[in-house]
Amino acid sequence: MRNRSWSLVLGASLAFGAWCLEILRPLALGAAVICSAVFANEAAAAEVIPPKPAAYFNDYANVVPKEKARALNEKLAQVERETSNQLVVAVYRKMETDSDVAGYTQRIAQSWKVGQGEKRNGAVLFVFIDDHKIFIQVGYGLEGALPDVTAFDITERHIKPRFRAGDFAGGLEEGIDLIVKAIRGEYKGTGETVQEKRAPASSGCGPLGFLIMLIIVLTIVRLGRRRGGFGYTGLGGPFISSGWSGWSSSSSSSSSGGGFSGFSGGGGSFGGGGAGSSW
Amino acid sequence: MKTFLGFGKVLVLASLFSLTGCGTYNRLVTLEQAVNKKWADVQSVYQRRADLIPNLVSTVAGAANFEKSTLTEVTNARASVGQVKLDPSKAPTDAAELERFQQAQGQLSTALSRLLVVSENYPQLKATEAFQNLQAQLEGTENRISVERNNFNAAVQEYNTALERFPTNMLNKMFGFKPRPFFTAAPGAEKAPEVKFDFNKATPAATP
Repeated sequence: MRNRSWSLVLGASLAFGAWCLEILRPLALGAAVICSAVFANEAAAAEVIPPKPAAYFNDYANVVPKEKARALNEKLAQVERETSNQLVVAVYRKMETDSDVAGYTQRIAQSWKVGQGEKRNGAVLFVFIDDHKIFIQVGYGLEGALPDVTAFDITERHIKPRFRAGDFAGGLEEGIDLIVKAIRGEYKGTGETVQEKRAPASSGCGPLGFLIMLIIVLTIVRLGRRRGGFGYTGLGGPFISSGWSGWSSSSSSSSSGGGFSGFSGGGGSFGGGGAGSSW
Repeated sequence: MKTFLGFGKVLVLASLFSLTGCGTYNRLVTLEQAVNKKWADVQSVYQRRADLIPNLVSTVAGAANFEKSTLTEVTNARASVGQVKLDPSKAPTDAAELERFQQAQGQLSTALSRLLVVSENYPQLKATEAFQNLQAQLEGTENRISVERNNFNAAVQEYNTALERFPTNMLNKMFGFKPRPFFTAAPGAEKAPEVKFDFNKATPAATP
């Protein structure tokens, strides 16, 4: 019996030894893998991928008046409700990369996952004010409706002339309108954005949570009564009201008019489609 | 007692295999499928570029006395690309095979970039909408090629790493999984052509 357990220990240690050797092997291979991986993402060095924006229209360079930006944001949210297409606009001061604008913006759009899941129907209009560059990144699912030639036509012959004249708000609005026109009809909307779809799902817990809370409170109340009623009203009251208000406020905020429509990426992906211009 | 020692070892190894074998095999199949899918994507974007070329050549040839040698170079390069067709549904396992493919595509890239550089000398051609649109399409295709090549390399890397890892590496020979070669960045030749679209030059009057 002792021998048997000994052999098990030996077997285990042999397996562990083999495992360790296998650890060493990838280490030796590591150098080769890293070398070959360097070209896999050419622009790894000194590139900053900006974080996912919270809105559809994002003017980080402050070139568009606040009111206008808000209106354009609502327009873009409405586009998603009606067509399910996610169109995001991002205006930055500068590119933070060593690579070209096409590759850089593709990686950004990909990391934001603009577009709805399987449809992959996202598009992002990028502007880099100080670099004088415009680029429209087109998701896989919109390459048919918004081919490179159309994207190029929009940046080169519509946005660029206005930007040259210093009319950023006008150029962006015209660009947005043209992109929306091009991609309308490709997909059908559900009347909700990705974020709005998610919000009811979480507030769907609200009534249920409220119900559970109610049961707990009622149980406490009952227990309290049985034991001779200690301060149950003081405990039960606030519980009920906070549970109720929490639920109602979360459901109303997602459907309230005149508010701000937030953006959530829906898992889209980009293959380098689109075009851009310099002004 | 000696038999016990042997028995113990066999027991440990057998349980190891049975625990990892099935899941590992399925994982490798999934990863290999991903590599093949990405390879198909790479093939389709290269095909897209090849499809654009006749249009480009005819547009450029229409321009008054356009340099003939650059045009023939592009046409020849496209023809040689057609000769090293690889199976579009299965990623190559032979590094030399991929290298040949890459070289042919690289020659086409070089020829195309030269054509676009030469076209700089023909302002009337460059001013036409047909040529500008072709340039936009060509540029978009080059972008797609670079994206799909990167995606392919990432898939290959994941697959190859899985193959090398313990205990998969003990099983992969048994199941016949082979590591796949990467696209490499050949100095100069395979770089996406430096296509500069400076339309501003054609109209010097307009300044930013």
